Amino acid sequence: MAIEQDVLVIGGGLAGATAAISAARTGADVRLVSSKQPTLRHASGLIDVLGYTPDGEGPLADPFAALSDLPEGHPYERVGRDAVEAGLALFDEIVGNTYEGNHTERNALIPTQGGRVKPTARYPASVSAGLASDERDALLVGFERLAGFDASLSAARLNATGVPFTARGAAVEFPELSSADPKVTRFAQLLDRDEGVDAGRGVRREVTERVTTHMDGEDRVGFPAVLGDDHPEEVRADLESHLGAAVFEIPMGPPSLPGLRLEDRLYDALDEAGVRIETGNPVVGYESKSRGNGVETVLVDRTGSTVPYGAEQFVLATGGLVGKGIESDRSGVEEPIFDCHVAHPSDRYDWFADDAFGDHRFARFGVDPDRELRPRDAHGKIEFDNLRAAGAVLGNYDFAAEKSGSGVSLATGSHAGRLAGENT
Amino acid sequence: MSDADSPDDRGVPDGERGDANEDFEPVEVFPEGDLDLRSGADSCYKCSTCDTNCPVAEVDDEFPGPKFQGPEQWRLKRKEDSEIDPSIMDCSNCMRCDDACPADVPLSQMHNEARAEYVDGQMSKFSVEYWRNRVLANYRKGAWLGSKVPRLTNALANNGPLRKLGEKLFGLTAEREFPEFATETFREWWEERGGAATSKKRAREARADRGGADVQSEDKRVAYFHGCYANYNTPEVAKAMVRVFEHFGYEVAVPEQGCSGTPMFANGMLDDARRDAETNVSNFSDLIDEGYDVICSCTSCSMSLRQEYPELFTFEGTADVAAHTYEALEYLRIHEDLRGALDEAEVGGEGEELAYHAPCHARNQGLDRQAVELFRDLDGVGVEDVGDSCSGISGTYGWKAEKYDTSMAIGEEMFAEMADADGETGMTECPTCAMQMEHGTGYEIRHPLELLEDALVAD
Amino acid sequence: MPDAPTVLVIGGGSTGCGIARDLAMRGLDVTLVEQGNLTHGTTGRMHGLLHSGARYAVSDRDSARECIAETRVLEDIASHCVEETGGLFVKRPEDSEAYFERKLQGCEACGIPAEVLSGREARQREPYLAEDVDKAIAVPDGAVDPFRLCVANAASAENHGARIETHAEVTDLLVESGEVVGAEIEHGSGPGTRSHRSPGATERIEADHVINATGAWAGGIGEMAGVDVDVRPSKGVMTVMNVRQVDTVINRCKPKGNADIVVPHETTCILGTTDEEVEDPEDYPEEQWEVDLVIEELSKLLPVLQEARTIRSYWGVRPLYEPPGSGTADSEDITRDFFLLDHADRDGLPGLTTIVGGKFTTYRMMAEDVSDHVCDRLGVSATCRTAEVPLPGSRDERVLDDAMDAFGLSSPVARRSKQRLGDRASDVLDTDEPNPVVCSCEGVTRAELRDAIGQSGTDLNAVRIRTRASMGNCQGGFCAHAMADELHPEYDPEQATAALDELYQERWKGQRHALWGEQLSQAMLTYALHAATMNRDRAARSAAGSRTEADDRTVDFEAFDGGAPGGD
Repeated sequence: MAIEQDVLVIGGGLAGATAAISAARTGADVRLVSSKQPTLRHASGLIDVLGYTPDGEGPLADPFAALSDLPEGHPYERVGRDAVEAGLALFDEIVGNTYEGNHTERNALIPTQGGRVKPTARYPASVSAGLASDERDALLVGFERLAGFDASLSAARLNATGVPFTARGAAVEFPELSSADPKVTRFAQLLDRDEGVDAGRGVRREVTERVTTHMDGEDRVGFPAVLGDDHPEEVRADLESHLGAAVFEIPMGPPSLPGLRLEDRLYDALDEAGVRIETGNPVVGYESKSRGNGVETVLVDRTGSTVPYGAEQFVLATGGLVGKGIESDRSGVEEPIFDCHVAHPSDRYDWFADDAFGDHRFARFGVDPDRELRPRDAHGKIEFDNLRAAGAVLGNYDFAAEKSGSGVSLATGSHAGRLAGENT
Repeated sequence: MSDADSPDDRGVPDGERGDANEDFEPVEVFPEGDLDLRSGADSCYKCSTCDTNCPVAEVDDEFPGPKFQGPEQWRLKRKEDSEIDPSIMDCSNCMRCDDACPADVPLSQMHNEARAEYVDGQMSKFSVEYWRNRVLANYRKGAWLGSKVPRLTNALANNGPLRKLGEKLFGLTAEREFPEFATETFREWWEERGGAATSKKRAREARADRGGADVQSEDKRVAYFHGCYANYNTPEVAKAMVRVFEHFGYEVAVPEQGCSGTPMFANGMLDDARRDAETNVSNFSDLIDEGYDVICSCTSCSMSLRQEYPELFTFEGTADVAAHTYEALEYLRIHEDLRGALDEAEVGGEGEELAYHAPCHARNQGLDRQAVELFRDLDGVGVEDVGDSCSGISGTYGWKAEKYDTSMAIGEEMFAEMADADGETGMTECPTCAMQMEHGTGYEIRHPLELLEDALVAD
Repeated sequence: MPDAPTVLVIGGGSTGCGIARDLAMRGLDVTLVEQGNLTHGTTGRMHGLLHSGARYAVSDRDSARECIAETRVLEDIASHCVEETGGLFVKRPEDSEAYFERKLQGCEACGIPAEVLSGREARQREPYLAEDVDKAIAVPDGAVDPFRLCVANAASAENHGARIETHAEVTDLLVESGEVVGAEIEHGSGPGTRSHRSPGATERIEADHVINATGAWAGGIGEMAGVDVDVRPSKGVMTVMNVRQVDTVINRCKPKGNADIVVPHETTCILGTTDEEVEDPEDYPEEQWEVDLVIEELSKLLPVLQEARTIRSYWGVRPLYEPPGSGTADSEDITRDFFLLDHADRDGLPGLTTIVGGKFTTYRMMAEDVSDHVCDRLGVSATCRTAEVPLPGSRDERVLDDAMDAFGLSSPVARRSKQRLGDRASDVLDTDEPNPVVCSCEGVTRAELRDAIGQSGTDLNAVRIRTRASMGNCQGGFCAHAMADELHPEYDPEQATAALDELYQERWKGQRHALWGEQLSQAMLTYALHAATMNRDRAARSAAGSRTEADDRTVDFEAFDGGAPGGD
């Protein structure tokens, strides 16, 4: 067999990338295979560690203080506080100064798309001037052709939340757009290239001219997170100098440019770590070792032919229900590659709560690992000696309610990756 | 009162089920030859990941993007709704949306079908655009003629005033230089060299050199799908493929073949594509039955055989061909210790630096990083990835006068990355990406197989 | 018209709106009150089949004849609400040959055009039909959008001077000297309701005659006046598929049975149904077996349904009525005919008429009968014109095609807008402002949403039924918040927030019955977007307009990260 590694990581999202980099840092030869683009671009780009307890208590100013009270089986309980810190430290190193928040253990409160605030542990530098604990008044600016962010409504909601500043909102027409429905990448691209509007004046200048007329002494101006894809720092610096005010982004739902930018940085870090990367073909199955209960190879589907990829250690980081690391049908829920045990009520009407934001069992679907993150079967027995799981494929936590998605991916990804690398 | 009072509801005995003849009734599932792809929308999350990957939507906000063109347009369709939004012709068929979609929506299949329906039903068969597209899509026919008198063709094709006239009359951009025809096509060279018999001999010698045991090998057989471009324009790539595979002990066969269909799909000419596909599937599946695998050196050709054929056609053997088709390097990586071989090899020269661009159609097959990964271990050469942007030419797309600016706007990012990279040579697997790279930077562009030949095949 | 008699119609379903329109066109002074949205009850919860009558052609030929007649009328006066899909009665090998023949004869006897197709011919029309289907009868069934039809009737009534009050619940009937003289209503106080009345206010509406057109709720209204109306509500499930697997109504050709119809409806197909008698039309179990049953049974006709995505299910309650003493055991055996109860004759209580039973397709005919009756009681002589005068929006297709080109919409979006708006399309879409698509599943633009908000205020569920926004595969996940944004600044932030919460919960309610496979993954993505990215689950509790407003004041902003020292 020609494709053979020390460590093979399945899945290219935050958990998979972290696992691959951690494994590579132990000196292992690592390959990462993923089938599609990761769901990072569905997420805000914020690094939530723990914003609320599983009981809904919060927002938590200190996420670490709450770690010790988490129920047995929660991924943080499995890996322990050290792993959470190690995951964040690795993240801080990977993203450098493009993210902030590592100067304190406290959570920050970030204004959201709909005008609420949300606790998070790390945030893109582009978001940092928008912190809700900052007392500077803020003007929020929406773009008329970008549905889903009504700046004045968001500002009103923020004010109602009791933020220690006054927010106002305004909407402007973004220059140079002719269609009613430009994609977010189009806004970002026009700003990246600062294309000329007229008389040599670029898009950045034109946007700020239109915003200036709405300003009333605010020290900071928030925009939906479309301020550049390839050159966000440059775009923001220009807008700030034209406006004479700090500029920040408000994270938006899918597709999310902060998520895209984070994805780019992760893949640069993977390259730097010497990880071999293959995206585009799914892992569809595995072969066991002839002796013992280990995985020998995983099978990668290449349009109808399956190719075995061998490794000593494997990390499963295929995501949850959205990333299709967990699948379901009318009769049940499964982990499709290794068929690892996924606990779920047999009656599918017990998978959800009647309240849209109730305690949904489906949000906690996933594999159940031991403290080394090896998935366990229904009786608590380790399924494979050399398979670890990380990120959203893990069960027993509701990342959306807790605001803990990225933190769990980092903690379990770095933990699983390190253990995998050390065991080769 | 109710329907319940019917006295007779005992059903019909099993032996008389239905009309017995209907067992082999050839059900015309899609009566007008159109696929009903509405159910493809079932997988869609509406997450817009596809849109963020669309190079056209990024530079042209009038283009509604792949989500609209695919699952949305199809879901909104009713049977009697025949009209397809004309913006489908602005899709460049890069197929990046396919690779992006986390939910496996058959985006490019939907686009291909929609484009074909549009061309069929809404584009005038008397328009210049139609005929221009038809000619571009059928590049192979023109190339066949041109290659008969390559020098004359080259001179005429790159005559400035003629090109201007071509733009005016025919909508072909005057900005680009036509690719040169080789003075000897690959197939001419292949016949001259002795065809399959010679290849068999050489492969056997190579196997003997390597340790002899499997001199009589039934498995080391590949059928080469060279496509049009390697045959008429860059036979050196095709020759490199033959020599590299023979070096690893493979007997190469080069069956009769038509166009892979990529330019035809991209122009909504599904009928043209179907004709060539039928020939290709028939000829190659015969060889597969004899133990051959199919190798391509152009990633759009392999994409077509692997993905588009089974999505769009139902000839016998289509699935077989798809399952047995590989890109050249990919095949060697799976079946040979290519990494080990390159680790021990080196290429002469002063540490040449190559700016590598991964074609979108390589990305779709999960091959976008293999060249960089492989040549990392090769001494004497440095390969730098110039990023994941699209080159913008997308086959025939960038040749159309009205698409030229979009094509160059998309390519801008790649040109800049190439300029930033060390060295002044480019590398890619796709012939039209190579044209665009050369057009935007003036660099000479090589194919990974040529580098592999330099490294591994002693001459 | 100060001298016109006044009539109060209770119930904003198809029958009530039809009556309101009919009477208003005859010159009466009409007020209609509805406890929820228009179509809140049974009308909004049917499968959208426009009966050719073939379904009743064996068991109930009178109903069948009425259906074919009324279908023709609706195709004429409500073309923008009707899709002439055609229908098939499909016979599987195990289904009775004799019944097939009786169906065919029934259609002929009732004047319903019917054509026998071989299995092969049927599959040519509908390629996903099972390969062992052996034959079919083609009939002129159609699909109708009950929401649009109801709204169009209400709009027409308003144009003729009627007053339409939604979210106005009748709390009592006013009975004076043995006669019903009006009703007391309470204006809705729930979140997101129409805002032009003060919530919680009560109002006495006096009328010369009161019409109880509340369908399954008719018993409750009757009780308020001390009369007994024995409605036997019967529930049935409708399961909504994500796409149209068929463009023709597919019926199974066999005597009564659950799960025997697939109706193409807008962008979806609706599978139906079950038939279970329930005690209370407001509160009954919605059960898993019903969803499983329709999928399993109908997969025998259309195997593709087995793996296809469903996006939600909903239940409707049929307002079945039996004259006292009929004693039918099985609700399926109760007649689908309608009954006009003149309480003066029946119970010695003048001033009140109840209409029960019947079916959606013949709503107009029922309205005509009731209106005739009431006019007779009130001594008004005016003839019914509802069968001749087109409803608002019913359009001339050719004029519209030309006009639609002008709005810069992509073809399918324009086509959809046109299908929804009919001849109002040009007026609605003619805007100088940017007009982005807000709901991309259904192709609904900002202008269309604003038009609907203009009609129905802050009730986003009413906006939804007018536009179909949030009714596609993401079930509002990607557009519910954007729809609520359109309420601001006309309405204040608290109203916008409450309206969003209400719409979001309503979308969740139906989606719960489809939570497996793609729709469960979709639900997780939606949940992540609204909870993780927007923090609507936790912070929403403390944001504007919520129940626990005090909580937000307790967030100690100072305890959180205020930015890096020296950072910007």
